[in-house]
Amino acid sequence: MLRTIIACAGFIILALGTAHWLTQDFEFWTAEGARRFDVAASAVATPDVAAVGPWLAASNLPDTLTNTGGVTIVNFIYTTCQTICQVLGTEFQDLQARIEADNRLRERVRLVSISFDPAHDTISVLRDYAGHLGANPDVWTFVTVPDDQQLRQLLSQFNVVVIPDGNGGYAHNAALLIVDGRARLVRIFDYADVDLALGYATRLAERQLSG
Amino acid sequence: MKNREQRLYQAIAALGLLALLAFEPVRHGLETSMLRHMLVQFPGLLVVGVLLGGLVSARWRIALARWNHLGISGLCATGAFLAVLMIPRVLDLALVDWRVETAKFVTLVFCGAALRLSWPASGLIVQGFFLGNVLPMTAVVGLLYQDSPLRLCNAYTLDDQQQLGSWLIGIAVALGVAWLLHAYHVLKDKNESEPSHA
Repeated sequence: MLRTIIACAGFIILALGTAHWLTQDFEFWTAEGARRFDVAASAVATPDVAAVGPWLAASNLPDTLTNTGGVTIVNFIYTTCQTICQVLGTEFQDLQARIEADNRLRERVRLVSISFDPAHDTISVLRDYAGHLGANPDVWTFVTVPDDQQLRQLLSQFNVVVIPDGNGGYAHNAALLIVDGRARLVRIFDYADVDLALGYATRLAERQLSG
Repeated sequence: MKNREQRLYQAIAALGLLALLAFEPVRHGLETSMLRHMLVQFPGLLVVGVLLGGLVSARWRIALARWNHLGISGLCATGAFLAVLMIPRVLDLALVDWRVETAKFVTLVFCGAALRLSWPASGLIVQGFFLGNVLPMTAVVGLLYQDSPLRLCNAYTLDDQQQLGSWLIGIAVALGVAWLLHAYHVLKDKNESEPSHA
């Protein structure tokens, strides 16, 4: 009986230890939670991939996302999306309106939507989409990564998981990604937490200026 | 001699099923859906373990039993390990990290073998305690998957998650009912064979 108790204790300790490691001290039960924690703990550099888009000055993504003295809020989208991206689009419209209305913010915070469907979302499709959403190119730009391998590299680096939803579209872990002045992904917010994301971006921009 | 032949078939079946489940296209096919991942691949690996558990020789069985009084250790390990495997992050990690995937395979085969070696040795009380933990846990995870408006796994769609949730609840209820019927029959037989109580 004593041996059985020892064996049980061993198995339970093993299971608890594994669960402790998997959930990072019982904090994060989902991959998305762990992803956000990891990014907040250590910033992720934007991989050096080629980017194209309407009204785009730079030809690679790190330069596109570098906002000297400022911060960029990034989301991942595809233009034929009927569900979550429409919410994201509305939220970015709202963010754009708030940035335009505030002189300080206009200098410090920019928006970038990255399409992960370059096969459909060509430069002209993105231009139409931007126009349809009323995007102001000074505040909000649209890009995509045409090279398949580079796109995959970007998605894996930023831990964006895109899966076919069975209806011709995609499901993806939509979120608001905060990228600092040196094009590093530093924080991820839930797509519903627009205020939190903008507040964090503003404070980060101020910290960058004073630092 | 017949016994030996039976064991050989069991070994072939176990290794064949394991090879099939580990075969890249099959593994990938099962893992692209949350439902197939948890309801086909998981039980498949448990079956591999159950078959392998049947190959343990009588001598080893006796040696193991010293550490597994009434099957308690085996059922305890199975309950604890299945709980860990139900953490949503495990499903996502298993798709991208081969170490987690390997650990998942090994753990499920181990749980199957532990069930095979422990279930017959355990009485109704130990079984009831084991199922009383594992089944409600399964049902609660099922409810969470069924009702959560958020995707808990980045690699699976919400529809898939909700379907899996309903199935988990159904399976937990069905297993619970089946075991209660089994317990009822065991107790009835016991009463009938002990007429002194009458």
